[in-house]
Amino acid sequence: MKPDALRGHLDALLLATLDGRQLHGYAIIEALQQGSGGALDLPTGTVYPALRRLERAGHVASDWSTVGGRKRRTYRLTSAGRKALHAERAAWREFTTVIGGVLGGGGTWAQT
Amino acid sequence: MGADVIDRYVTDLGSRLNGSPRQVRDLLTETRDSLADATEAHLGSGLTEQEAQRRAVDEFGPVRVIANEYQAELAVGYGTRTLVWLAIVLPLMHMAWEYGRMLFIGPWPAFATPPPSWYLFVAKANDLTNGIASAVALAALVAGRLVARRYDPKLLARVAASIGMVAVGAVLAGNLSIVLATAHLDPQRLLQSAPMTIASAVSWIVVVRLGLLARRCLSCATIVV
Repeated sequence: MKPDALRGHLDALLLATLDGRQLHGYAIIEALQQGSGGALDLPTGTVYPALRRLERAGHVASDWSTVGGRKRRTYRLTSAGRKALHAERAAWREFTTVIGGVLGGGGTWAQT
Repeated sequence: MGADVIDRYVTDLGSRLNGSPRQVRDLLTETRDSLADATEAHLGSGLTEQEAQRRAVDEFGPVRVIANEYQAELAVGYGTRTLVWLAIVLPLMHMAWEYGRMLFIGPWPAFATPPPSWYLFVAKANDLTNGIASAVALAALVAGRLVARRYDPKLLARVAASIGMVAVGAVLAGNLSIVLATAHLDPQRLLQSAPMTIASAVSWIVVVRLGLLARRCLSCATIVV
């Protein structure tokens, strides 16, 4: 999938990846790639500014800790982040229902 | 030898960033860790160390693009810091100055003749400026948090810097106006107490420092391509 198509959904993807767990940056990138079956093709460096943006919005909190002898910044959802994720999921369901109804139906489009 | 690929990338990235040293250090540490993790993952798939590092760096993204995104976040960080300082420092400084004035000078003695209405206007405006500037900074902080995901960080940083510079300009103009107006009517009032003269000088230094912080924030925001 192209990076431009993903960019608008990156925040929601990151919130979903952190749902119910605490992960450091590279673990988030791995989880994103695994979750998409390797289809997400985004420069991995763009994930970190996006995490900072989510932190600024109060949707994610982070802490530094030492894991495996290396200092790592780990991220987790805040309660505002969980609410934002809930809203993102609802908006996505509505979007796919509406667009899927038109694109997936094969109805009037083909006849005009 | 292989480590040079990651080192070069991180050094190049760092040389393009301008912001709070702690935030820059945090971003670069995280970048280095991420590249090391990616390298380990690629080593497991049979690549040599150097190939693994090259692939990790390629996947991370072109340094110019990544630096641009990092810089936007650093600029917002600076903007937030400027607004926090304005929101907290200005009212605290005003309260401390008034407390010091009551301690060292007491209630202002009456003028020999009632001051003209323009002087009272300048005095009132100066008293209000600090409060208004810090309230605007606080409101901008809250609004910035609410729209953090909706607007481009470069735009948010520029708005924060502009608010900071206007607020500092207004506070400086207010302070300067009251000093000049008082010097015009009764210059002795300005030198009634040495500790308060020093306190005034310190508060000027703090306000100028806040102005420099806001200007730095603006330059951080405008170097973003």
